[in-house]
Amino acid sequence: MRLWWEELKVAVPLIFHGNPYLLSIIWFTVQVAVVATVVAAAIGLPIGLTIGLGRFRGRRVLQILANASLGLPPVLAGLFLFLLFVPQGPLGGYNLILSKKAVFIAQTLLALPYIVALTAAAVQGLPPGLLAQARALGAGRAQLYALAVREARIGVLAAVIAALGSALSEVGAIVIVGGNVYGFDQTLASAILFDANAARYAQAIAIGIVLIGLILILMGGLGVLQQRGGGIRLRFRSVT
Amino acid sequence: MSDASATGEVLLRCKHVSVRRGDREVVRDVSVELRVGELVALLGPNGAGKSTLLDALGGVLAPAQGQIERHGRVAIALQAPDLARRSVLANVMLALAWWGVPRSERAVRAREALRAMGAEHLAQRPAGALSGGERRRVHLARALAVRPDILMLDEPFAGLDAETRANLLEDAVSALRSGTRATLVVVHDRAEAWALADRLFILIAGELVAAGPPRELLEHPPSTAVARFLGFDGSLQDAGEMLLTRPAHVTLDPAGPLSARVTRAVPLEDGVRLELELERGRLYTVAPLPAPRPGDTVRVRVLGGAQFPLPAADGVLASPPRAGARPQATVAPGLPHERSP
Repeated sequence: MRLWWEELKVAVPLIFHGNPYLLSIIWFTVQVAVVATVVAAAIGLPIGLTIGLGRFRGRRVLQILANASLGLPPVLAGLFLFLLFVPQGPLGGYNLILSKKAVFIAQTLLALPYIVALTAAAVQGLPPGLLAQARALGAGRAQLYALAVREARIGVLAAVIAALGSALSEVGAIVIVGGNVYGFDQTLASAILFDANAARYAQAIAIGIVLIGLILILMGGLGVLQQRGGGIRLRFRSVT
Repeated sequence: MSDASATGEVLLRCKHVSVRRGDREVVRDVSVELRVGELVALLGPNGAGKSTLLDALGGVLAPAQGQIERHGRVAIALQAPDLARRSVLANVMLALAWWGVPRSERAVRAREALRAMGAEHLAQRPAGALSGGERRRVHLARALAVRPDILMLDEPFAGLDAETRANLLEDAVSALRSGTRATLVVVHDRAEAWALADRLFILIAGELVAAGPPRELLEHPPSTAVARFLGFDGSLQDAGEMLLTRPAHVTLDPAGPLSARVTRAVPLEDGVRLELELERGRLYTVAPLPAPRPGDTVRVRVLGGAQFPLPAADGVLASPPRAGARPQATVAPGLPHERSP
């Protein structure tokens, strides 16, 4: 415990010191988390809704794959992207390896399964009569999806929260594809890894405290929205 | 059997339609027509294929065989009255949006439909706070609001207590009737069919076994199977004839021509349902209190009923009436039975 106390005594002042390095990785972490979550939601919601509401052959297989992808090890995803991005890889010409773009892509890829699998599960739990009635009264696909998202909003928000949590915390993939370059493409989580490896425990603890604060602020905000449940006014313009 | 009894512009016509659910043929060779302005009840026991036929007529299911012509848009109110988690008014407006009604018209039309179903006072209430009967009203209002050319309702009164159902039925009778629309209502309660419909389609085991005005079918059921389904639970047999009766056809009368023994007495709200054993059959009636008790011997008079040739020795009851003869509610030779007044 003495070691903890000693490191904490050094770490806490670092947080309030206005350290430019710390500020830069906080900003980059927020950017990565928000962009990865928004992009994953934009791609994953339609996929999750299609899996959850669709009536096509192979839907169950897709559902199983979506659920299985929740267990995808981040380092494996990172390795996969690394082999795509290296100059000899299929996407080598885009100069993505060791770039910030690679970090965004990796975190988006890791957030995507949460959106897809949890959205599909959330809309599958809706009363089947409501969606069938919407179909029977002529609702188009966009109207049906809007209805499903609105009705399953608590579950869909849970998917977004899980995706955001993943984007804030995962390090395995971004370290491989981004290189965890000091002050360049580090997130708070990867910076902790960097400092811990260099035995700068006080700095790692300081960054960890900031990361936990950021998680509490972002996830807490979404959590409050989710808890309000029926009080949230999600409005979708119907397609007429 | 096919149906071709009503007049008016045909909005829906199906010819020799069969429908399958997986490997099973649920509806077989059904031909019906729906005409503008009429309200038709599709009646049948559980598992007869009513909802499947409705789905096929409404375009939700493709028929395995046969043709379906629709002239106009069809709206189906499914059996489950599931509503979205928003206000009642918003739910009806949402249905109008699905139907493609311009935004500016939705609120007025939604309120109008809610008023027609006696649910206008619920407009601002959250759907989650509604009772079962209120949900049914809003569900019906949602289907009425879209003003389809053909309206199909799948058991709109299912799962309600007797009083709530009676109240809803009373309001629905006028709301569902329209001079510009054809309405098909699936019911499995005969009382609902009598209250609502101009015509009945009776579906038993996937086959359309009768079609026509309710009173006509009740007075002249085309087969013993239809008669049994319509509540002809008593039967008397003699000389190759069988007389099927409903409780209303049988009265206890000290001067009646038949002698019977009471074998069972089931108390009802307004009397007692009696099972009567006779020499040539078994009859049922409802007697006022004080009623005879099991074991008592009573005199009975039969007024009305439907007469059929006695089924073959194999006991098949679904045989049609005698060739060339319509089942008659008249005295059959050998049967101690009187013409109903």
